[in-house]
Amino acid sequence: MSLLSKYRRALLAIAVLLVVSPLFGVIGADLVGYHEPLDVAAEALGLSESPLWSGFLPDYTVPGLSEDWLSMSMGYIIAGVIGVLIILAIGFIIIRISGK
Amino acid sequence: MHIPDGFLDPLTAGVCYIVAVIFIVYSLYRTRASINPEIASMASILAAGIFAAQMLNWPLPGGTSLHMVGGALAGILLGPWLGGLVIFIVLLIQCLVFGDGGITALGANVLNMAIVDVLVGYLIYRAIAGKGGRSHRWLASFLGGWLGIALAGIVCGLEIGYSPSFPYGVAVTVPVMGLWHLVLGVIEGLITAFIVDYISIRSPSLILGGVLRDEPTLQV
Repeated sequence: MSLLSKYRRALLAIAVLLVVSPLFGVIGADLVGYHEPLDVAAEALGLSESPLWSGFLPDYTVPGLSEDWLSMSMGYIIAGVIGVLIILAIGFIIIRISGK
Repeated sequence: MHIPDGFLDPLTAGVCYIVAVIFIVYSLYRTRASINPEIASMASILAAGIFAAQMLNWPLPGGTSLHMVGGALAGILLGPWLGGLVIFIVLLIQCLVFGDGGITALGANVLNMAIVDVLVGYLIYRAIAGKGGRSHRWLASFLGGWLGIALAGIVCGLEIGYSPSFPYGVAVTVPVMGLWHLVLGVIEGLITAFIVDYISIRSPSLILGGVLRDEPTLQV
């Protein structure tokens, strides 16, 4: 498929991002107690989350996997791969449609 | 910067949804004529890359952290309309599949990241890159990435701070969101500049939103 060959380098970069992502998204985030400016602002105002929909893979975790860092990291990578594949699948549909 | 369910006043959430829908419909209209398999391939790869990049939280010790948003990058590479649609797809998948960003807040998240960040990044890039050389492009994409996320943060602060029952909330949320994103957004600016510089050296034809290959249909 032309998309795969033309953007081989970009796809490789995406794969590398996904493989290292648990270092930042799971292990690093846990080490430093990751919180965003949005969390700071919400806390200052006393806002609290009330999720209506948590998704099929809530917060990039795979349901059923245990909660140790290795499983969490594997789950994070799996979630990332699934997300990328869904986006590329949508892309393929649009590429096909736009070619007609 | 993904607002979860429960942070927004219903009126704010509704207004943001309306703005987001108008933007998406208009963007589809604007990109319909120029979309072809080549451009759609670029947009798909960029969407996948931005999704993956957003999974890397920058763990800054001892405090408040951030992850890449990539709106300005999408605007610079693809122009405001297709760039906005790329971020919209990322936000939609994050919301529906991963529960990242509330379903009631999707309109607000689209407004902040797919509209404000993309447009600001694109406009700053267009204004500064001009017909200048590599250093101009570098500065333009750095400022676009940096100020794009800072302004998106400020707008996000306005949204979560505004509520009829608590009218002074914005006096708290806007400074917090604005200042933090102004500080941490420097990283977004550097990443944006690095990627735009890399692409403009290796394959300048991939920069559609910029001045390297003007496509009238992709302009504002």
